[in-house]
Amino acid sequence: MTSAISVKSLTKTFILPHQKRTTLKESFVDFWQRQTYEKFAALSDVSFEVNRGEFFGIIGPNGCGKSTLLKILAGIYRPDSGIVTIGMADKGTHHAGTHSTPQPLSIASLLELGIGFQQDLSARENIFINGTLLGLTARQIRRLLPGIVEFAGIENFLDLKVKNFSSGMRQRLAFAIAAHIDADIYLCDEVLAVGDESFQKKCFETFASWREQGKTVVLVSHDANQIATLCDRAIYLDHGQLKSTGSAHQVIADYHAALAG
Amino acid sequence: MTNHLHNWAIIWQLVKGDFKLRYKGSMLGYFWTLFKPLMLFGVIYLVFSVFLRNPMQNYAVFLLLGIIIWTFFSEATMTGMNSLLSKRDLITKIYFPREVIILASVLSSFITLLLNLIIFAIFYVSAGLMPGVTTLLFIPYLFLLFLFTSGLTFILASLYARFHDLGHIWEVLLQILFWLSPIVYDLSFVPEAYRQWLYLNPLTQFISYSRRIFLINQSPSLKQNLLLLIISVGTFALGYYFFKRQEYIIAETI
Repeated sequence: MTSAISVKSLTKTFILPHQKRTTLKESFVDFWQRQTYEKFAALSDVSFEVNRGEFFGIIGPNGCGKSTLLKILAGIYRPDSGIVTIGMADKGTHHAGTHSTPQPLSIASLLELGIGFQQDLSARENIFINGTLLGLTARQIRRLLPGIVEFAGIENFLDLKVKNFSSGMRQRLAFAIAAHIDADIYLCDEVLAVGDESFQKKCFETFASWREQGKTVVLVSHDANQIATLCDRAIYLDHGQLKSTGSAHQVIADYHAALAG
Repeated sequence: MTNHLHNWAIIWQLVKGDFKLRYKGSMLGYFWTLFKPLMLFGVIYLVFSVFLRNPMQNYAVFLLLGIIIWTFFSEATMTGMNSLLSKRDLITKIYFPREVIILASVLSSFITLLLNLIIFAIFYVSAGLMPGVTTLLFIPYLFLLFLFTSGLTFILASLYARFHDLGHIWEVLLQILFWLSPIVYDLSFVPEAYRQWLYLNPLTQFISYSRRIFLINQSPSLKQNLLLLIISVGTFALGYYFFKRQEYIIAETI
């Protein structure tokens, strides 16, 4: 089986100053004062492989580095050391010209409650902006718009500013957009945390169709049940360290064992 | 190549969003943008032409062109500097080339500049002035002005992400720069000893060259034009390079 994502000894440390200097004045005035800071190892020496067409879970308590890891996979953060390799798309599956050079698998990310909306713009405007950021053309978005709106269940609120949305609506809209993106790899961070049952049902249907299409999904959650139902394999992170890798059930057993004792 | 084209699609969507945000989609909003430089123009005209009896011919056209260019520069740098922060929700959630945000912000201001130029055209024609072939030079000047302003905004925005008081500092600098650029006065009023110093400010060149081609249909020398080209492209390249080096740090610190 070919790998979709290969992660080798990934390390990411955040430097947290005790007193954050966010102004030039502070930087100048306190120049002679040694700035004290703490190093926070968000990830240390993490390695794993995600196979193509696999549902891969990342589990761990709050602050274990799950979200940092996903942000690195999404290309938002850069690791201090270590390598993330994204697999190459098979020839012919990509839409570009016949002589196109091999392209890495495309990634759609759905991070932390919402793809990132501009609060003062309407849902419609945000759909266009986010869709474009995720690689769609305006024409494709116009074609997908009814489906997205229906999926999110926001038919009556399309021209309402997103800041007036409830967090559930926002999350539904974010997931609806991602669900309509044709990517090879989907990175999902706690997507099922919000939303009522009927929406969760839609999410599970989307996951099922991704599985059918052989998509790769990386799912971050602190809910062991979700990982158990959805994922084939998983990793368990704690304090930035990889504690366990293997089948989802094995990893969850390790996770529970660690929590218990 | 398709990636490159897609970046422009992103810029276009962001510009559309910026316009909605800036003008709240209302006619009055658009009107307000045109009104802002006209207000500044009106008051300065009153002081310098009526109170101080400045005898310069076509002073209204002269002044308005300077103010329109200035308004673009100050608005583009101020909003552009803040654009990363105002789009932090996007930056921390999706990876896309960050420079797109800066370019979209400067482009929004640039479109306002183009709208303001329509007003200028009305003033120009009603003053009985006629454009000549050299006036066409204004098109490349606009392009260079865009490059220069974007380059500077790249630098300002990456610094602003770290130093939040740069906003106030830049506001003060802009006020100083307003009086040190030949906006309300002509360079010929400036004593020789000071004039060369004013030329260190590229806005001096943009404003005075534009006036020359509009008011007396005379092109600056080839050397002057080439220098402006080098400064603009150079500032853009430098700013872009500076910004790209900070790109990841921005997403983490913002």
